[in-house]
Amino acid sequence: MGSLLRTSLLGLALAFAACGGDAGPGEGDAPLRVALLTAGPVSDAGWYAGAYEGLLAIRDSLGAEVSHQQTRTPAEFDEAFLAYGSSGYDLVFAHGFEYQDAAMRAGEQFPATTIVVSGGGRVAANVIPFIFELEEGSYLAGMLAAGMSESGTIGMVGGVEIPPVQGTFRAFEAGARAVDPDVEILEAFTGNWDDVAAAKEAAAAQLARGADVIIHNVDAASFGVFQAVREVVGMGRTAWALGMNRDQNDVAPDVILGSAVIRIPEAFLEVALALQARGLGGEPIYEGASEGVVDFVLNPALSSRVPPDLVGSMDAARERIRSGELAVPRVPFVETESGIR
Amino acid sequence: MSEAELELFLQASVRLGAPLALAALGEAVTERAGVINIGLEGAIIAGALGGALGALAFESGGAGVLAGALAGGIVALVFAAFAVGLGTDQIITGTAVTLGGLGLTGAVYQARFGATGTALTLPTLAPVRLPLLADIPLIGDALFAQAPTTYLAYALAPALWYFFFRTEWGLELRAVGEQPDAAAAAGVRVRRVRLLATLLGGTLAGVAGAHLALAHAGTFAENMSAGRGFIAIAVVALGRWNPPWVLLAALFFGAASALQYLLQALGLDLPYQLFLAIPYLLTLAALAGWLGRARAPAALATPWPPPR
Repeated sequence: MGSLLRTSLLGLALAFAACGGDAGPGEGDAPLRVALLTAGPVSDAGWYAGAYEGLLAIRDSLGAEVSHQQTRTPAEFDEAFLAYGSSGYDLVFAHGFEYQDAAMRAGEQFPATTIVVSGGGRVAANVIPFIFELEEGSYLAGMLAAGMSESGTIGMVGGVEIPPVQGTFRAFEAGARAVDPDVEILEAFTGNWDDVAAAKEAAAAQLARGADVIIHNVDAASFGVFQAVREVVGMGRTAWALGMNRDQNDVAPDVILGSAVIRIPEAFLEVALALQARGLGGEPIYEGASEGVVDFVLNPALSSRVPPDLVGSMDAARERIRSGELAVPRVPFVETESGIR
Repeated sequence: MSEAELELFLQASVRLGAPLALAALGEAVTERAGVINIGLEGAIIAGALGGALGALAFESGGAGVLAGALAGGIVALVFAAFAVGLGTDQIITGTAVTLGGLGLTGAVYQARFGATGTALTLPTLAPVRLPLLADIPLIGDALFAQAPTTYLAYALAPALWYFFFRTEWGLELRAVGEQPDAAAAAGVRVRRVRLLATLLGGTLAGVAGAHLALAHAGTFAENMSAGRGFIAIAVVALGRWNPPWVLLAALFFGAASALQYLLQALGLDLPYQLFLAIPYLLTLAALAGWLGRARAPAALATPWPPPR
C-alpha cells in the first residue's frame, strides 16, 4: 500500500508541477499576495495565457507574491480557494465563468480575500464579477469576416455554450450582418476547450460547407481551427481564421487576419492597483472598448489584404462603440439587485 | 445529405476513429491479460508530446510516431512497475498515471515552448492513397486515403485476432487474463505476460497520441488527448475484447463525433449532443450482454499473485 500512496503522490506532484505555482519576489514586509486559478492550461496562447501574463505583470510591477493553479473540477475549485483563502492571499483571480459558485462559498468563508471572477455572474462584498465586453471586439471581427468572405458563408467554432461565449457569437453575427445582411453564419460547439482534433473537425465541416472565414471561442483547441484553415489554404482555397480573447495574430500569422482581443494583463494589473489603493467595493467591473481593454487588432502581416474601405468602416464602428453610440448585442448574465445585466 | 457530404462525413469518422482504434486495440491486449490500464490517457498525451518533439527533432513525421510509441511505452512501464510488479490497485495506479502524464507533458511543453504556448508547425504524417482501394466510390477516400498509422490499426485488428485465438502465446495471454493461477500452474509466467501486454498497450496508445498530433491536429496542445484514453476503454468493452469488433467500435465512436460536427455545419437545430451519447448507450448494452455473449476477462483488474 505504501508504494501505491507514493505513486498517487508522485502523480499529484507532477500534475502540480505543470501548474506553475511560481512565487515572485517579495518587497517590503507585506507584499500583495495574488493568485490565479485557471480551469485549463495557460499554454493556450489565448484566454488563459492572457491571465497568466496578467499575473506575471502584477508580480513584476507591484512586487507581489504570486501563485497559479490549474483546477479542473468543482471539487478542485473549492480546494484551491481554501488553500489561498486560509493562507491569507489578498486577491484571487478566478479566471472563468465556471468558478462563480465556488467563489461565492469561498468569499463568505474568507472575508479578507477579494475574489475576482472573470465572466462571473454573482456579486458579494468581496466577490466581484470581472466582465470583459469582448462582444465589442467580436462585432468588429464579424464586420471583417463578412467583408472578407468571398463565398458569403462564415463560421464560428465554440467550446461550451456558456453565456460569455454566446455573447461574443451574437455580436459577431451582428457585425457580420451590418456589412452583409445576407451572409450565412454557421455555428458549432465541440463541448471541449482543449480538444484540438475536435475543433479542427468542426472547422473542417464548416469549411467544407463553403465557409471561408472562421472565428473561434475555445482555448488551446483554437490551434485546430487555425490548422483546418491552413489545410484548405494549402489546397489552393482562400480562407482566413480570426483569433479571440488575446492577440493571437502571431500564433498562425499566415492565416489569422486579426484577433478580437482582451488586454487581460493590463486589466489585471489595474484591478490589483485599485485593490491596493482603495479596495474594489462589491460592484461588478466592466471593461470594454471604451476603456481600451477590448479591441480588434488586424494582423500586420496580412493587413494589406484587407480593403481600405473595410478598415475604414471598422474604425468608424470602433469609434461609435467607444462613444456609446453603437450598442453591440450582449448576452447578459450578471445577477444584480436590479436584475440580470 | 448529399453524396459529397456523406463522403466528408465518412472521412471525418475515420479520422476521429483511428486514434481511438489504435489505443483500444492496445488496451484489448492489456485487458485480455487481466490488466485494466486506466493510465491509457496518460500514455496517449505522452505519445502526442513525444510525437511532436520527435517529429521536430528529426524533421520527420515517421520518426515522431516512433518517439510517440516510445513515450507511450515508458508511461505504461511506470504503470506496470506498480500495478503488475508490485500488485497495486490497477484503477488507482492508472488514475495516478493519467494525472501524472497530463501534468508532466504540460510542464515539458511549457518548458520547451513557453508558458503561454503557441500553435506548433509540425512535420506531419501525410495521408497515403492506396491505389485501387482509394478509388472505390463513397468509402474509398474515407478508408484508404489516410495516414499510415490508420493502416496500422486496420492491420492490427485481424493480426491480433489471429494472435489471440490461433496461437499458443495468445492462448497463454488469455489464460493469464482468465485464470492466472491455472496459467501459472501450467508454467506460464503470469507477471511477465502481463508486463508485456501492458507495454504493448501503452506503446499503441503512444502511437495513437502521435497520430493525434501528427496526422490529425498537426500541432500539440496540453490536454489534447481530451479523454480519448477513457473512451478507448469503453471502445474495448463495446468491441467485446475481440480485435475486429474493437476496430469497428472505434470507427462507430468516431462516426458519432463526426455526425455532431456535420449536423451543426448543416445548421440543423438538433440536440446534437444526443448523438454522442449513442455509442455509450450501446457500450452499456454490450456490457449488459444484450449484444450477444460479452464477458470481460475473469481476472481483469485482479492483482497476481493475490495479495495475502
